[in-house]
Amino acid sequence: MIKKILGVIALLAVVAVGIWWLLLREDPVANAQKAASAEAAVVLTRYPQEVLWGDTHLHTDNSIDAFGFGTRLGPEAALKFARGDEVKATMGMKAQLAHPLDFLVIADHSDGLGATRRLYDAPRMLIQDPTLRKWHDMMHESPEQSQLAIAELITAAAAGTLPAALRDPEASAENTRNIWNAHLATLDKYYEPGKFTPIAGYEWTLMPDGNNLHRVVMYRDGYERTSKTLPFPGIDGKLDALFDYMDAYEESTGGRVLAIPHNSNLSNGLMFEMTQADGGPMTAESARRRALREPVIEATQIKGDSESHPFLSPNDEFAGFGDVGWELGNLPLSAGKDNSMFAGEYLREALKRGLSIEQQTGANPYKFGMIGSTDSHTSLATADEENFFGKHTGNEPREGRALESQNLGTRLGRFGWHYLASGYAAVWARGNTRAEIFDAMMRREVYATTGPRMTVRFFGGFDFAGIDFASDWVESAYAGGVPMGGELTDSGSAPQFIVSALKDPDGAHLDRVQIVKGWVDASGATREKVFDVVWSDEDKRRAIGGKIPGVGDTVDRLTATYTNDIGAAELRTVWIDPEYREGQSAFYYVRVLQIPTPRWPLYDAVKFGFDLTEEALKGSVAQERAYTSPIWIGPAAKATTGA
Amino acid sequence: MTFKNWAREPLVHFLIAGAILFAFFAWKGEPADPTSREITVTREDQARLALGWEQTMSRSPTDAELDSLIQTWLREEVLYREALRLGLDRDDAVVRKRLANKMDFLATSIAETAKPSDTTLETWLADNPQRFAPDTDYSFDQLYFSEKDAAEAALSQLPEMTEWQGMGEVISLPTTSKMSGSGEIERRFGVIFLERLMALQPDGEWVGPIPSGFGWHVVRLRQRNAGEVPPLADIRERAENDWRAQTLETRREDAYQLLRDAYQVTIEE
Repeated sequence: MIKKILGVIALLAVVAVGIWWLLLREDPVANAQKAASAEAAVVLTRYPQEVLWGDTHLHTDNSIDAFGFGTRLGPEAALKFARGDEVKATMGMKAQLAHPLDFLVIADHSDGLGATRRLYDAPRMLIQDPTLRKWHDMMHESPEQSQLAIAELITAAAAGTLPAALRDPEASAENTRNIWNAHLATLDKYYEPGKFTPIAGYEWTLMPDGNNLHRVVMYRDGYERTSKTLPFPGIDGKLDALFDYMDAYEESTGGRVLAIPHNSNLSNGLMFEMTQADGGPMTAESARRRALREPVIEATQIKGDSESHPFLSPNDEFAGFGDVGWELGNLPLSAGKDNSMFAGEYLREALKRGLSIEQQTGANPYKFGMIGSTDSHTSLATADEENFFGKHTGNEPREGRALESQNLGTRLGRFGWHYLASGYAAVWARGNTRAEIFDAMMRREVYATTGPRMTVRFFGGFDFAGIDFASDWVESAYAGGVPMGGELTDSGSAPQFIVSALKDPDGAHLDRVQIVKGWVDASGATREKVFDVVWSDEDKRRAIGGKIPGVGDTVDRLTATYTNDIGAAELRTVWIDPEYREGQSAFYYVRVLQIPTPRWPLYDAVKFGFDLTEEALKGSVAQERAYTSPIWIGPAAKATTGA
Repeated sequence: MTFKNWAREPLVHFLIAGAILFAFFAWKGEPADPTSREITVTREDQARLALGWEQTMSRSPTDAELDSLIQTWLREEVLYREALRLGLDRDDAVVRKRLANKMDFLATSIAETAKPSDTTLETWLADNPQRFAPDTDYSFDQLYFSEKDAAEAALSQLPEMTEWQGMGEVISLPTTSKMSGSGEIERRFGVIFLERLMALQPDGEWVGPIPSGFGWHVVRLRQRNAGEVPPLADIRERAENDWRAQTLETRREDAYQLLRDAYQVTIEE
């Protein structure tokens, strides 16, 4: 009897608490509406006036590997850090950016979203799978063992031998739903339109046989729409399935979504193929679909730079930045690389292939813009050399990280110093909102940097004669031409380009600005040429044998310092293609080079007081750079729009 | 003690949580009872599984797929109950840690979802003004020179000049900035310039040269407006996030102390 009475009382208490909770709890929908009205209040400029800086590729403790590598910072810490707050890194160090970012896409892996964390938290005896149980034990044993477990996990994922429990999307759908919705609500909470913009997304981790075909999927929308979908799993999927998913999302919610391929340098030639994935010839339809779904590519990040490779561009003395270590094979080094694979991996070659496919089919699948991002797995979006928190928590600042072997699963080939403190995405938008940033990416009005925040403008047109860089030149350039990412219709006269590069106010001076041109010649072969269009001290640095002499090197290897006694604060010019041929399809993009500066391993060596190996020392000074999206020129009939 | 204050008391959270657990078991008859070998997969359970599928795949599961979802769930439930029957939850470091985490969570869950009142947040703003005061705004003119000598020469001529705009070298930096926040100035001109600008008198006199990452500048600061903490209504979201993060931390610690105080602990030498 007493038990019954107590039961009734307790029941009433439950109901009361339930009501109380319902009334007082946070309401993600109301949050989203608030965000939407704040968004509507942002005043947009007539044309893009300020460049916005962000990272579209950051992992937090919701990522299966980031958690396993030891990261214990979640999305909230990631957002606070990106907007400029000081946070405590997983290993206990204080971490803060020198300058805040304007936007952030948290891109945790859709496969097993939150799964490592659940594996870690799970009672041991309930883990049936012996492999999972082994990883569980390793994760609890020590940070080193935890990292080893994740290395094994990535290797297994690459080899397609992940235990079923981690591959099974249905079994974890509810957990995924909870994590995803909570995450979306957090993004809306931190959204300050006009000031700081968190953007919903995830990483789709397609990886046949360890060949990296990963994409970041990024939404234009807030909670109201994004909560109607779930991250699409992909380790053993097909690219078309992702595009189907994106179509379905847009149709059912009225929202917008795009995908950003990255680490093509680890795809063993598969990222930019001349054929369809199944080996058949590329069709115009699939080429159009690819260009529409993937308007921008991540050109540079922690795991190497994918702009160019010396094998493909032997006449480009600056090709090969950030290639060392990454050119050995695919992501887990389960398969080595031969020279024939480079062409499907580097962005310049892909842009050329795109022209070639367009000539054959009428559509260009590789008409993309370029951005940089970090792919950091520490929740900390760092791309500054002197403030670099590493690829994952095991590589947060500490003495050994620069020289240790850093392989996933093996002990050969890649070392700490091969990893780059790179990069960021620069976006020319009319205001700092989700819609403006997304739309800028769709029209490819974006560029990549390896970390420094140079301001780069690039316009193409046919009559820039009046441009003298007086105060309103940008508005005239918009009026008389197209910005980076745009397309020109061949009308029989040589295209003109305005390029302007202002140094990072707190960074190094600029060495030179180059325009990289790619085209298809009369025989149907693809060609490329790099033009130095403006450089510092032009009166002293005159071309010798067609090459501009190097800018010099002020880096003191013993103190990891440099001076801005060489180079220029700003470089700009109007350039007319001297080799224009009527009827030839071509693309042009800008590469800006800074003067040589120390890379993070040199800062580490000085800070912790150790000697780099000869090889590492050689790689510890570099010319950081920016790559803009191209401007294309082609016959009118073939011009297509990306948006 | 008001209702709000009660609501903040960790002890109250524990009591309520206890009551919920008790009520749940009184009502459901302890479904995870190791001796019970009766499992009903209700229509609701099935609908929940189907919905999870649907949300991922944007279509309903087929009968075969639903059946496989149910079997997976069932397998987990059976093994879970048997594990409890065998007492596998005892003497397990992970279970122990997980339960401790859940206790922490109980202490903070209400704070995580509760809406703080305006009064609470007003007090929070008043106590932590430095976190919410916006940038100081500056109105100034500047001329850029790549060499210091040129800047000094220009400075000596400037007081007599009316057409001053053309005197500097051309660079993509605004000569006139009106009410620019310190964040914006730092973004455009860099840290070194901002630090020097902050120290200038807003008297409209040309001074310098002051350095930046670009070179040298001759500057006249016309106006400076210190930022004030905006009204709560404008920054409620931010204030609330900030308040919540701090409150969670405090709660967890308070709740632990409350329990901890009831224990007599001896740590032998």
